[in-house]
Amino acid sequence: MFPIALSELVQIFRNRLVLVTSLVMPAAVSAVFIYQHEGFAALGSLGYIAAVVMFTIGAFGLYATTVTTLASRRQNLFLKRLRSTAAGDAAILAGLLLPITVISLVQVAVIMTVLAVVTGEPDNVLLLAAAVLSMVIMMLGLGLATAGVTNSPEHAQVTTLPISLGAVAVVSWVGISGTEELTLLKRLLPGGSATELVLNAWNGGASLADSLILLAPTLSWVIVAVALASRIFRWEPRR
Amino acid sequence: MFFRKKCHGEVMTWSHCPVNTATAEIDGMSSTPVIDVERLNLTYGDFHAVKDLSFQVERGELYALLGTNGAGKTSTLETVEGHRTAASGTVRVFGKSPRDRRAVRPRMGIMLQESGFSPDLTVRESVRLIGKLTQRTDQVERVLGIVDLTRKATTKVSQLSGGEKRRLDFATAVYGAPELIFLDEPTTGLDIQSRDDLWGAVDRLREDGSTVVLTTHYLEEAQQRADRIGLMHKGALYREGTVSELTRMLPAAIRFFLADPVPALPLRATREGGGKVLIETFDLQKDLFTLLRWAQDQAVELRELQAGPTRLDDVFRALSSD
Repeated sequence: MFPIALSELVQIFRNRLVLVTSLVMPAAVSAVFIYQHEGFAALGSLGYIAAVVMFTIGAFGLYATTVTTLASRRQNLFLKRLRSTAAGDAAILAGLLLPITVISLVQVAVIMTVLAVVTGEPDNVLLLAAAVLSMVIMMLGLGLATAGVTNSPEHAQVTTLPISLGAVAVVSWVGISGTEELTLLKRLLPGGSATELVLNAWNGGASLADSLILLAPTLSWVIVAVALASRIFRWEPRR
Repeated sequence: MFFRKKCHGEVMTWSHCPVNTATAEIDGMSSTPVIDVERLNLTYGDFHAVKDLSFQVERGELYALLGTNGAGKTSTLETVEGHRTAASGTVRVFGKSPRDRRAVRPRMGIMLQESGFSPDLTVRESVRLIGKLTQRTDQVERVLGIVDLTRKATTKVSQLSGGEKRRLDFATAVYGAPELIFLDEPTTGLDIQSRDDLWGAVDRLREDGSTVVLTTHYLEEAQQRADRIGLMHKGALYREGTVSELTRMLPAAIRFFLADPVPALPLRATREGGGKVLIETFDLQKDLFTLLRWAQDQAVELRELQAGPTRLDDVFRALSSD
């Protein structure tokens, strides 16, 4: 796994397009949210800013790069090449996705740290960490599933839009309007319960038990995504 | 350029570089085939790509799997490599399922039909990565030297020519001198020097005990190199044997042109138009002597006379027209 991960890291930093769209842009958008935090906090809350930042990186950094990477490596038969070695499928996928996952986690950690320094510490850091991890796992699962219906890196620009934009829209909806109305719907949408978890973790005011229950819908999305991926993910291009 | 290379860290001639990996020890299975395919069937939806295919490849052999386009040889090869699952039948490689990658892959090198490298990695990085993943040990620089890519070591794969990519592909297949090597169209796109170099490298690997499975459209390569040939047609194994066994099935040919008026020939012949005459024979020497003696007696000129044993091309043409 680690030789694959190392080569993938090299490729990320050599490919300027990936570097800019996956790393620089989400970081820049997050920086704007932090810079304008008073306005966004008035619109929603500080927890809302944390949730938006987390999902911007998760959707446009982690998820979109996951889909693009897998589609690209499949299209140029690199996946087939890797499968011609002794490496197992799980190790191949883990190696390919480890660098962008670590980079995304570091990005989220750095940006949230900056947000905390600027605006004040979150109420429950551990709960926030759980929210971040569940979001990362969900985005990886959805990325694997989306890669199954994505033929090329160019195609990924289209296939990633529904979930990328959808997740950010759900974050804003839940983050601004809360979950007092349409609670079940908002929690079941991808990103909805993860957003509520971040709101609880940052703003406080909810019991730990009530917050931990919110992990269930997010992890359900992981199960759905992995089940989909196992059915539709392809290692070689269609002939 | 091939002859003095580092073998597992030491400079020596490749002909003395032993087959790699801890699994290369004689495992008590030397009498069993390296590859054993029994009644293999492959389907794509309703299409029956491979039908009841059975063949074995013995240790140290060079087995060429040839066939017309769409005959099913790549599907067969990819199943034996472990890339595909059989609809029915059994495939054993070193006595194990080829899908058991951990057990089988360290012992086999695969040269794919198409490249499959990441364009942003350099040649050296590509060989190092794939080499590590094979779990065999070798020196990256030695392997680059084998395929004459040392000067391209820091070049990105995206900047290589088609022939250089094929050589890179070969380099990863022979990394660590595996016991079993799959070569899928290995010389396509290579210039004549690179072809000779590649076959020289294959010869040295075979001297060290490697088994080779080859598919190619260059029949003369199969004719020159293969110990045995499997001819596939329409998803089935049509013929199998040594080159002489395969060519023995068809008559040798004597071809020449005769000017009109054509006299009565001493042998049964086919006139192909334009004065071209074809004589098919299973006793080439005797019939050629008969023909030449007749031509001398009759003072007849046999223009553009050609005579020779059946070539693999002829077997292939007979197969294609079937």
